[in-house]
Amino acid sequence: MIRFDNISKRYPSGLEALKRVNFELEAGEMAFLTGPSGAGKSTLLKLLMLMERPSSGTLLINGKNLNRLSRSLIPSYRRQIGVVFQNHQLLSDRTVFENVALPLQISGYPPSETGRRVRAALDGVGLLGKESHNPLTLSGGEQQRVGIARAVVHKPKILLADEPTGNLDPALSAEIMALFRRFQRVGVTILIATHDINLINSLDHRIMHLEDGMLTDDGVRSNG
Amino acid sequence: MASNLTKNESTARGARDQKVRLVDRWRSYKAHHRTTFLTTLQKMLGEPLQTTLTVVVIAIALALPSVMFLALHNVQQLSSGFGSSAQITVFVKKDINSQQIKQLEKELNDLPEVVSTAFISADQALEEFKALSGFGSALQYLDDNPLPAVFLVQPETSGAAGLQQTQELVKAIGQLTAVEDIQVDMLWIQRLAMMTEVSKKLVLAMGIALSIGVLLVIGNTIRLAIQNRREEIIVVKLVGGTDAYVRRPFLYTGLLLGLFGGILASILLLGSFLWIGQSVAVLANLYQSQFQLMGPGLTGISALCSLGALIGLMGAWLAVMQNLRAIEPR
Repeated sequence: MIRFDNISKRYPSGLEALKRVNFELEAGEMAFLTGPSGAGKSTLLKLLMLMERPSSGTLLINGKNLNRLSRSLIPSYRRQIGVVFQNHQLLSDRTVFENVALPLQISGYPPSETGRRVRAALDGVGLLGKESHNPLTLSGGEQQRVGIARAVVHKPKILLADEPTGNLDPALSAEIMALFRRFQRVGVTILIATHDINLINSLDHRIMHLEDGMLTDDGVRSNG
Repeated sequence: MASNLTKNESTARGARDQKVRLVDRWRSYKAHHRTTFLTTLQKMLGEPLQTTLTVVVIAIALALPSVMFLALHNVQQLSSGFGSSAQITVFVKKDINSQQIKQLEKELNDLPEVVSTAFISADQALEEFKALSGFGSALQYLDDNPLPAVFLVQPETSGAAGLQQTQELVKAIGQLTAVEDIQVDMLWIQRLAMMTEVSKKLVLAMGIALSIGVLLVIGNTIRLAIQNRREEIIVVKLVGGTDAYVRRPFLYTGLLLGLFGGILASILLLGSFLWIGQSVAVLANLYQSQFQLMGPGLTGISALCSLGALIGLMGAWLAVMQNLRAIEPR
């Protein structure tokens, strides 16, 4: 589903954020991306969101070469993936419902369908009662869950998450991880960038470790 | 929360039914236009001071040249009225016989621009002069009649073009053999017409300058709006909003600002027209003139409103083109 082929990324400043990274994620696979800050986790996710382009190498999504995707096709590509942002990226001048409905409105879903799906997504993250709230009035964990609802409301094949449990307590983190596993079980390919060691250690999943722009470790770590 | 999670199965189930039907897409495109329009309007009304200031600036910039243009149009209308009262006096050569006079009369009447002619013979002219001038007794001492026979020619004139026509007619009459001299009091009408013509060009230049001003005012307003909604633009782009989708609210803002400016300018125009119109009617009455101030009319009003909306849209477009591309998620 996701394939990095010798991907390097060098920023105009000269910083080499990724160095010849190779990996492949099968459809329905869930993997963690770990490493200290500055190791290139964010850059890797940005390449997948087409916020940045690789300096060299080939990035294939579902067999399609992302390097060849023109600027005008970026929006339709982004509509096919779901992203959970570290800083939530929620709009403070809209309600929770409107925030979650945004991807559907952009894709052109009819209002009735939009309402049904938004409520289903909010129900899934346990926030159905708060659909008319302003995101700013919610707690950090709730805001994160709104972000997750927005990331999955259009049923993407790929879900990317950047520090989704960043500033949550362990109980909330566990809840959110349970949520992700649920999505994985229905066939969504998931890549989660995190440095939450407790979280990683508590789960049996593929873990890719980035160090100074290089993929130094890639494998399933068993619990215990 | 656990029970909620189970219900969520359907939300994440693959992407098979991700495709949106074309009909739905069109419907939702229209719906987005409608909601964008309404939320834009709402946002503008939510900042009444900012909106009012911008609209007033636009309205004044649009109303000023419009009022002047309308005034000049009225002056032109008025002077074309003078043009039609321009009678051409054609003096006939002294040493011609009645046969040649008949010939001249025919020639004059054959000219297409001539509406009517009136003939005053030399004798008639003398009688008239005797009666009106008071030199009657002195004229007895003259051996023969010094006055020439005269044709009074009424040219056909209409509007500004009438003046040109009259000039050409005068030229044509001058070429007729039996004509001694032509008198037409046209110079001042000509000057007035030229002055209105020059002023019209000045007003047009001013109108263009002020329109560019409106364009920049709206462009700047939109630029600020874009800066204020930077965060929103980034989020929309991140979840797959196209450039057109991101642009839309800003284009509507520009369009609405321009339209409101045009409407307010029309109100100002109509107001000043009604205010001045009354005085003009009294003045015209004093001159025993039927002259009436011409208003902008429905065409003028709708043109002004459309112009405002168009300039607003263009200003917004320019601002969007300049500023929106730079805002990309990083």
